[in-house]
Amino acid sequence: MKKNYNIKRMLLLMLVVLMAAACKTEKVLPKQEALKDISGSWQVIKATRNGTDLSTLVDLSQFRINFDGVGYKLMNKLPFIVTQDGAFSLDDPLYPYKITFTAAGGTPISTAFTYPIVNGKRQLSLTFSPGCTNNSYIYVLQRVN
Amino acid sequence: MRSYLHIKGKNLWRACACLILGIVLACCGEEITGVDQPATATVGATVPITVHINIPTAGNGGPDNLIFGFLVPKGWKAAQNTKVTYNSPALGGGTMTLLTDATLPKNGGGLTWPAYMKKTFGIGGNLIDDMEWVAYQSDKAYSHNGNTFSGDILINIKVGADNNNMLVKLGYVITDSGNGFTSDGNGTYYSKVITPCFEVTGGAGDIVDFCNPQLTIVDPPKSLDNDFVTLTFDGTVANTQLGKETEVYLCATAYTSDGKTITVCEQTDKTRMVQTSATSKRYQVTIWPKSFFNTTDAQTITKMEYFITDKAGTTKVGYGNTPAPFVYTFKCG
Repeated sequence: MKKNYNIKRMLLLMLVVLMAAACKTEKVLPKQEALKDISGSWQVIKATRNGTDLSTLVDLSQFRINFDGVGYKLMNKLPFIVTQDGAFSLDDPLYPYKITFTAAGGTPISTAFTYPIVNGKRQLSLTFSPGCTNNSYIYVLQRVN
Repeated sequence: MRSYLHIKGKNLWRACACLILGIVLACCGEEITGVDQPATATVGATVPITVHINIPTAGNGGPDNLIFGFLVPKGWKAAQNTKVTYNSPALGGGTMTLLTDATLPKNGGGLTWPAYMKKTFGIGGNLIDDMEWVAYQSDKAYSHNGNTFSGDILINIKVGADNNNMLVKLGYVITDSGNGFTSDGNGTYYSKVITPCFEVTGGAGDIVDFCNPQLTIVDPPKSLDNDFVTLTFDGTVANTQLGKETEVYLCATAYTSDGKTITVCEQTDKTRMVQTSATSKRYQVTIWPKSFFNTTDAQTITKMEYFITDKAGTTKVGYGNTPAPFVYTFKCG
């Protein structure tokens, strides 16, 4: 009977030791967040107007926006945040959530911007109103291969 | 056989008794008993409207505030141009205050009151989605204690802030802040009335007809030349000369801010209106007016006049199936 009691105590002790040993502090390596580089040529792969899908209604395939360093160029224009070529900037190079376009000779225009990776490819999602402010458009852009 | 019929009859009586009992039990909840609204008004006039309400209550809930929703064209800017009060022998008089987005309905699933109203009641059978629900709440509350309150909601609205003539179906809905648009054993806690077409005249702007199907629809209803504009020709609305065509074309003239007119009246892919399905007789084209009319950066398009034509360009259909063009003004308000 006494022996049995000892085993129980031993087991309890082992359990405590095991549990204590389980708590191991893991060293988290500080990982450098990559700079968000949006340079290159982008095309519209999806567009909505007030929630209506425009992809089947208009030809979006020819539009291109080329980001290069601090400038951008538009080709085969569509209704967009800006109508002229100019400069752009991100509010934060690591965690950008706003992009600002400054057309040559124009005033800066900022817009909400997300930068998800979908199917292994970066996408740029821009929300803006080129005409009436209550008409809201979302363009999803992807780099041209 | 006879005995079978007898049993059936008994069941019928039971069913009737249950139904009547059900109706008696379902006595309680907000109800609009009538709306006094003029049939017409001129742009800028202040229109008095009275909504008669009756609120039998049951149980012991509350106290809840009365919620009132008013369905109006967005262009009227009703939130700024409307005064709503109420009068009830039991509660006395008081004001209905405009509900801001900060007040969320209890059963609205996170929506604001206007969004909850739009989700539940839509746009009241109007054909153009340029309507909004404006929500108000009474300054006094009442308990659901078996009493019945009756009274009137008194509205004074300045109509036609956008200076447009129109035909529109106005809507009215009431509920209480504790229940929203729900029903339970005590009854249905809301009531909705959509009135027949109300006409606004004397405006300088376009005629906007929310009530009758139109030959052409422009989406979005309000846009500028830098928007994508979808034009739909609905061949089912009237028996036009284009009734048998498999494809139709847009023939349009733009009027620009610098006093020029630009006409695009060709029968090519650019102007072709595609049938939405093989037999729908609804033809659609989406244009970016700036590019469609090839305006310069300095030019703005103020309005567009247009016809729908056949492939030869010889048969033209215009506004109301007449030789006059359809007119669309580019504006946001």
